[in-house]
Amino acid sequence: MKLSQLLTPDLIKVGIIDSNKEDIIRQMIEVIDNQGLLTDAEQAYQDVMVRELQQSTGLESGIAIPHGKSSAVAQLVGALGISQDGIDFNSLDGQPSHLFFLLLAPPTMSGPHVRALANIAKLSQSASFRKKLISAGNSQEAFQIIMEAEKDIV
Amino acid sequence: MSFKMRPEKIMIFVEGSQESILAAQYAVCMAKWLDCTLVGAYVVDIKTLEELTRAKIFVKMEEMDYEKSLEEDGHRYLNYVRNLAEAKGVFIETEILKGEIYKEIIRIIEQEDIDILVMGELEEPESRRDFYYNESERTFRHSPCPVIVVKSRDEIKWMYENL
Repeated sequence: MKLSQLLTPDLIKVGIIDSNKEDIIRQMIEVIDNQGLLTDAEQAYQDVMVRELQQSTGLESGIAIPHGKSSAVAQLVGALGISQDGIDFNSLDGQPSHLFFLLLAPPTMSGPHVRALANIAKLSQSASFRKKLISAGNSQEAFQIIMEAEKDIV
Repeated sequence: MSFKMRPEKIMIFVEGSQESILAAQYAVCMAKWLDCTLVGAYVVDIKTLEELTRAKIFVKMEEMDYEKSLEEDGHRYLNYVRNLAEAKGVFIETEILKGEIYKEIIRIIEQEDIDILVMGELEEPESRRDFYYNESERTFRHSPCPVIVVKSRDEIKWMYENL
């Protein structure tokens, strides 16, 4: 599943407030919850944190991909948070994270979840994509950047 | 592949999409019309799981957990297709494969001497990469046997129900 099929501008938050990892995940969960896509926001948060405790999903090059399986969703859902300044997310390279792709999938729907993660990984390899997305002025612009990038990369 | 006067084995490639389930209904119809054996195949996409672990998006334990989940998904989809076939008196064998999707499908086509591959409607390629690297596209292009791509139409459901 392509990221543009998973996200809408309403599921993108530009200007994530500088805070700690737990607060960032809560902000992302709230974005999804505001679209009526969760049956239990607290359960969804706990499910993401269970995975996060195994190893930080803060990767390299400013990318973080918190994710998990959750009974709080009926289908694969996702949200994107963007921080221009960057936030400490315990990333593998020790650098601040700027792009937070959060994915939640029902326990019995692993295929779309795996494909979506793979597509995010491919997109995120492009330095110009990351740079453009971090600089997006609003959620609509960020969504357009994703759609354009998918034509060339995914 | 051996020479045959008529098809004997039809394979349906199931990946869990609505399109592939509809294609399974058409494959059951074909198997019934042509008096063929049906082979249902699902591939656990090990290559992508390994790539996600290499990219550090997955931890190893998570990769193993997702492999198990995908295998369970495959059993569920293939059981559904088995029920579709058996409800119409069509003999079906099912295969859960593991590896790179298109390579595994091609391997099993050759190993099982499949005569026709049936697959669901292909998504419109949205990028050059999609055109060359989408697993369904690659399966379609590299298949050593004839391929039928089932267009999503209501008539297929009607056809199956009235078989």
